[in-house]
Amino acid sequence: MENKSEQVTVGPSGKPELRLSRVFDAPKRLVFEAWMKPEYVQRWFSPAPLTVPSCELDARVGGAFRVVMRAPDGTEFPMDGKFTEIVPESRIAWDAQIHDGLAVQTTVDFTEHEGKTTLDVHQIYAFENEATKGAHRGWTLTLNQLGEHLRSRT
Amino acid sequence: MPQSEHLDATFAALSDPTRRAIIARLALGDANVSELAEPFAMSQPAISKHLKVLERAGLISRSREAQARPCHLEAKRLREATEWMERYRRFWDASFDRLDALLIEMKQKDKEKDRGK
Repeated sequence: MENKSEQVTVGPSGKPELRLSRVFDAPKRLVFEAWMKPEYVQRWFSPAPLTVPSCELDARVGGAFRVVMRAPDGTEFPMDGKFTEIVPESRIAWDAQIHDGLAVQTTVDFTEHEGKTTLDVHQIYAFENEATKGAHRGWTLTLNQLGEHLRSRT
Repeated sequence: MPQSEHLDATFAALSDPTRRAIIARLALGDANVSELAEPFAMSQPAISKHLKVLERAGLISRSREAQARPCHLEAKRLREATEWMERYRRFWDASFDRLDALLIEMKQKDKEKDRGK
């Protein structure tokens, strides 16, 4: 396991985007299985100490991908999604609503190299009160870096 | 304003390259409109328009007293946005730690299954 890169940016529409990659020491056949079987998803799809008491996963385009995460104090964080693309052992994409009134589009790409699998995650977040419309030129701003820079002066 | 609206306004304001350049310039220190307009092939009124967007989003403040009305970067709002996004990055980092552990187990089971054949 290693972190290849991680970046938080704002996309051309003014929506925040997240991109990150991670390499897993397993063939993509197994990594894909860990994504597509609810009993496996329940074991990993939440940061500790959260748990996943329920996962509904209908592995086809238009199928449901609903995950409920639960905090130790009982607070639940549901993700209510629908798959938009499934290419076996290669790509999974879904659109979801998550707990704080956010719509999130997620794409996960699987690539295998010498028995190791790289997952590339790309997410686009949209607030439900989203007011940003209109086309802008394509660009990327690494807000993280700017944030770091600013932290040093406040 | 609820936090999601703050964030929405922040990200929308940052979607323009001129406004991002203004933010980057103000990160170095306060500046007035003519100083900000200097590096751009843009009129002061055009720059002022961008400043209004940034001000409405709470990313900058402008002094009401001095005649030059220098602009000041409000780092808090920008930090709020970066921290918000950081939460989602942490979600993946922590979940992937668990996926990593699960895969070790799955690989082990897979080997055993192969041996059983």
